[in-house]
Amino acid sequence: MKRNKPLALVAGAALLTLAACGGGSSDDGGTGSGSDREFGDQEGGTKDAERQGPAADVEGATPGGTITVYLPGDPGPDSLDPTGGWSVTGNSIQQALTSRSLTQYARDEEGQPVLIPDLATDLGTPNEDYTEWTFTIREDATWEDGKPVTAEEVAFGICRSLDSEAFPSGPGTEYSKHYFAGAEEYEGPYTSKDPKCENWDGVSVDGQDITIKMSVPFPDMDYWGAFMAMGPAPLGNASKPPNYGTQPLANGPYKVDSYKPNEELVLVKNDQWSADSDPGRHQYADSFVFKFNQDQAKVDEIMLSDNADSQTAVSTSLGSDKYNDANGQLGERLVQQTSQCVSTLTPDYTQITDINIRKALAYAYPYEDVWIAGGEVPGVTRVPANSVMPPGMAGKKDFQVDGEQITYDPEKAKALLEESGAEMPYPITMVYYEVDPLAKATQDQITKGFEASGFKVKAIPVQESPYNIWLDPDNKVNKQLNLRGVNWCSDWPAGSTMLPPLLKGGAVYNTALFDEPSVNDEMDNINTLPLEDQAAAWGDLDEKIMTEYFPIIPTAFRNDLFVFGTKVGNPTGDGSIGAPNYKDLYVMQ
Amino acid sequence: MSAETAGPETLGSLSSEPEQQDPNSQKAKEISGKSPLRIALGRLSRDKIAVVCAIVVLFFIICAVFAGTISKLFGVSLETGLASQYVDGLNNGLPKPTMGPPNGPFTWEHPMGVAPRTGEDNLAYWLHGCRISLMIATVATVVASIVGVIVGLLAGFLGGTVDKVLSFFIDMFLTIPFLLAALTLAPILNDRFALSDNYATIQKFSLICVLAMFGWMGTARLIRGEVLALREREFVQAARVMGMPTSRVLFKELLPNLAAPIIISVSLMLPSFVALEAGLAFLGIGVTDGVSWGQTILKAATPTYFREYPQYLWQPLLGIVALVLSLNLLGDAVRDALDPKTRR
Repeated sequence: MKRNKPLALVAGAALLTLAACGGGSSDDGGTGSGSDREFGDQEGGTKDAERQGPAADVEGATPGGTITVYLPGDPGPDSLDPTGGWSVTGNSIQQALTSRSLTQYARDEEGQPVLIPDLATDLGTPNEDYTEWTFTIREDATWEDGKPVTAEEVAFGICRSLDSEAFPSGPGTEYSKHYFAGAEEYEGPYTSKDPKCENWDGVSVDGQDITIKMSVPFPDMDYWGAFMAMGPAPLGNASKPPNYGTQPLANGPYKVDSYKPNEELVLVKNDQWSADSDPGRHQYADSFVFKFNQDQAKVDEIMLSDNADSQTAVSTSLGSDKYNDANGQLGERLVQQTSQCVSTLTPDYTQITDINIRKALAYAYPYEDVWIAGGEVPGVTRVPANSVMPPGMAGKKDFQVDGEQITYDPEKAKALLEESGAEMPYPITMVYYEVDPLAKATQDQITKGFEASGFKVKAIPVQESPYNIWLDPDNKVNKQLNLRGVNWCSDWPAGSTMLPPLLKGGAVYNTALFDEPSVNDEMDNINTLPLEDQAAAWGDLDEKIMTEYFPIIPTAFRNDLFVFGTKVGNPTGDGSIGAPNYKDLYVMQ
Repeated sequence: MSAETAGPETLGSLSSEPEQQDPNSQKAKEISGKSPLRIALGRLSRDKIAVVCAIVVLFFIICAVFAGTISKLFGVSLETGLASQYVDGLNNGLPKPTMGPPNGPFTWEHPMGVAPRTGEDNLAYWLHGCRISLMIATVATVVASIVGVIVGLLAGFLGGTVDKVLSFFIDMFLTIPFLLAALTLAPILNDRFALSDNYATIQKFSLICVLAMFGWMGTARLIRGEVLALREREFVQAARVMGMPTSRVLFKELLPNLAAPIIISVSLMLPSFVALEAGLAFLGIGVTDGVSWGQTILKAATPTYFREYPQYLWQPLLGIVALVLSLNLLGDAVRDALDPKTRR
């Protein structure tokens, strides 16, 4: 899923995600005080189809209390409709607390995410070529009004995800539409005036069994099932968008008490939820209060003050200027979590055709300086990247394109440029978001690094999100660019959510415009392989693309920092999505 | 910005008859044979606050004009290497100890230290920020004054339809909220000129235009009022009876009599533009290339930097406060000096 941060026009709140994309550096410096922090290496996600409710108790957990979650600089979801959710913030909250789906993730003892059943009794049964999946819906799950969650309601929820008009930014537009049989032609229950979803036969219900037919083999359906879009929706008008998005019917351990978009979301205990029906979730705290759009500096002060307010609070990010204080003061209450995201630079494949020039760009990028100028902590919130697939993804290979980690090396960049025979200085045109001084400072560092390496940089200032420029083929600024960028996070720990969206010919976020028929065919081909071979195949393809074509310059893997109050129990991160592990939090009494 | 930079009530009234004075008094002898300007300058030089303020303003003007030379003298420049040479990314991005305060001892290499995160030299950026600030404010003031004076003269002297039309425009511009207009204009200008090679220059030019566009109304109103009073005076009547062309009446008869209000409105417009330039840069809609006091304040205004490296915020802040305050006080002193009715 895309990494979104808000674009505040006034007073330059940061577009950090875009501005501060940084990359690998050789050393970590190591001059910082406080404990050296190892950030949790992510391993390939495991699965446990047998897990049954209730979820194992968290050691020492006590019920009661209210947990306040501050989300600095994050506006939160626009709507709580499960079908429309495709953001790290919204999905992490709702999937953990209010909205159940076919499958879900749990955190194991080592902090790794495990895919376990949720509303389904297992992880689904595919047919031989993964063109048909059957899920058996458990009978004991209930809505917040006490009524049981039926298989028809789950099927209707799945059907809703096909309505790309009603949910234009929903994940169904990518996955349901692409994989489900007959989905391309069906416009969805709302757009095609088919409120009971009778005109689409891709999903069928037989007792408690739901069968989904695919148009192409879809071995990752069990992962896709962990999206709340693959969960139930009340039949008929009760779930009609956009009204349903303000007060969705909960079936998880918490229900929505009040919701003010961009301000506050209050969740309270759902007394109809039974722990026996849910293998992954807990219901320790009495309520959760999510405060959106908070001021980072203010939240940092609150969290570091350790007063009555902050003892039961959680912050989803930490200002980099506070990292040293927090690191020394908070110990294990400062949690670093890989977010399964990669920051990249994307040289225009149609204009910069020589691989040596693309590699020269990678050597000309002053990784550490960009991180510092952008307010990141080198080696902590940004770590060097070697390829597109983030650490912890199944099949991820630990290779280096040139034998060792690419670092800032202007001499090497010049040598590569000379080898390519291109004119020096080689012109590079890129954009930066001028309203944010951090973005401007980052661009300055990039410009200095590139110009020291034999490039000539033209940096065009823009006043809207660079994504708006990069993704609009008709934009007059975009037509001038030969270097773009994109930050991408995986939707589940499989290469199919990283490589095709970024590097398949014609993909929306393929801002490199990379289009090699052999690679495209290989991507299509991998989907037809036996499931157990796919992860390795994605890893091989990742290596092949990087070593043979080097179409995209991975500059950094991203880590998030979470701060937990002293009375919040079990301070951990959720490795599946890059958010605090809401499912297992409790208030110490 | 829709507030008037100088109201009629702050001025010596030129419309009333001069006071009768005993030609043999001490005071009369003192000023006999001197031009009004000489008298004003004499008064000004006896005003201690005015002298101090003038020196401060002169200091800033020298800093602005010779920004490059002074930077060279100290061996600093706007050119900065890569950030990691100057700042410690693992220590909140604060300057390394060798770069001077807050973590190290004072060093002549960077007399005012370097900026956190980027390592830009504070002195060079302060001097050039001063230049940008004064340059934009001065040019905008000149443009706004010229427009204001011309509109005011024409509206006041010609009267009738011309006056109605011009007054309408004055009122119309006064109703447009300045900040809103500036916020709206920034992305439009960016969209139009982002691809240009001279974007930074165009940005400053457009900033001058925006400031001037919303700054001329006060002067225009003031001048119009003065002209309305003056044009019924005998010397103007006489000039018209003799058949002088309107332009001559305007520029030879009226304008010299308006010197005082014009000087005063200029002297009060200048500081307000300095403050506005910094304010817009702070909001990210003025100068965005980083060389501006407002932009430095924006970068420095975080609780951590203010606690651990307060001088980074104080430097541009003191610059703005000292410049605006002394310009304002100097403006007041000039007004007092030019007003024949003030007694001190």
